[in-house]
Amino acid sequence: MKKETRETEDDRARAALADEDPARATELMVSVVLRSGVLISAGVIVIGLILLVLRGAGGLGGGIASALAFPHTFASVFSGVARLDPLAVISLGLMLIILTPVSRVAVSIVAFAMERDWRYVAITAVVLAVLIVSFALGKGGS
Amino acid sequence: MTHLFVQFLIVLAVSIIAGVVGSLLGLGGGIIVIPALTLFLHVDFRIAAGASIVSIIATSSGSAATYVKDRLSNIRVGMFLEILTSIGAVCGAFLAGVVKGSALYVVFALVLLYSLYPMGRKIALELGWRLHPYGKDQAEGIPPDPLAAKLGFSSTYYDPAVKREISYDLHHVPAGAGIMYFAGLASGLLGIGSGVFKVVALDTAMGMPMKASTATSNFMIGVTAAASAGIYFLRGDIDPLIAAPVALGVLAGSLVGTRLLARLAGASIRIIFFAVLAIIAVQMLLRGFNISL
Repeated sequence: MKKETRETEDDRARAALADEDPARATELMVSVVLRSGVLISAGVIVIGLILLVLRGAGGLGGGIASALAFPHTFASVFSGVARLDPLAVISLGLMLIILTPVSRVAVSIVAFAMERDWRYVAITAVVLAVLIVSFALGKGGS
Repeated sequence: MTHLFVQFLIVLAVSIIAGVVGSLLGLGGGIIVIPALTLFLHVDFRIAAGASIVSIIATSSGSAATYVKDRLSNIRVGMFLEILTSIGAVCGAFLAGVVKGSALYVVFALVLLYSLYPMGRKIALELGWRLHPYGKDQAEGIPPDPLAAKLGFSSTYYDPAVKREISYDLHHVPAGAGIMYFAGLASGLLGIGSGVFKVVALDTAMGMPMKASTATSNFMIGVTAAASAGIYFLRGDIDPLIAAPVALGVLAGSLVGTRLLARLAGASIRIIFFAVLAIIAVQMLLRGFNISL
């Protein structure tokens, strides 16, 4: 009981500090994107695993150490998901996890623009560019 | 199917344990799950690194969501330094594709030993050993770096432990940024979050308070890891049947670990884990040099 009172006190202190600041909206947006990204991706992975159990291993052979033919390009993941291929659905979930920080960066650009902080719009755009280039390079480098 | 199912459950169980231990020790799941996968389950290093990097994005995004809301993560500092960590991570991920597997084991062992150093020091102090003081107190009293002022790095957060607001300025931005490049490189090369290096840059080099450093490092880990994870994914190093249980397991384990932290943070438990991890580091080193005992 005592602990609870203290926590509300802390929350109030945090809120008081936050309310004065226009950057609060940015923080809340970033926080929501991160949390929902993780929840959605984990959900998709679980759906893929359920599909795997329902459909049986089908064409899946080998073990952990052996190389299975799993989709690892955007095109093969999406076409696999359309067929409800379990491995493709799991890969989609993993891809969504990877894209969570990327969307956090994209949302930050919008948020900084709303704050009219152009210096940080530019800085954040550079980070997004590095991420996009990494995906482009990854495709070529395989 | 049963064979596959059993393997899946083993990887899941190992990952849950790695997540719990990682968050209890404040090391992160990756540095624990990689030795577990490679040494005990004989997974190829790059596949283990690919699975680990995805799990790191999941755990760091989850905890960063809370830190950002509580104002502990400094978003501006994080965004600026992510330029360096993400470029480093891209370089590291490409390097991982070309260097020999044995070299990855050796570098991993060295990074793990380095990560254990602060923990070993803390344990030694608790055991009453006399050590020379080290730390960042020299940053006090120096005016903030003009670059830090220009980039709006100063911030304030509320610390419930001391019940007051803590305000801080930052110093030595170029040095911190340089360390961040190498933090990104290690992250991309080994599939770890390399939070230890990020905290060194923020706390030791730039003089950020420890709590803010940890939270900002956590905030940055996701973007750093995403920069290399895309390359791992498209290269075919993210095997869904390993990465899925590792991601879900480490995520679940770290959530449990955070809740256990308050009750189980005693010195004896840390000494046991410290010893186990030191042995694991030596094993990784031996594996890298192809020596079997």
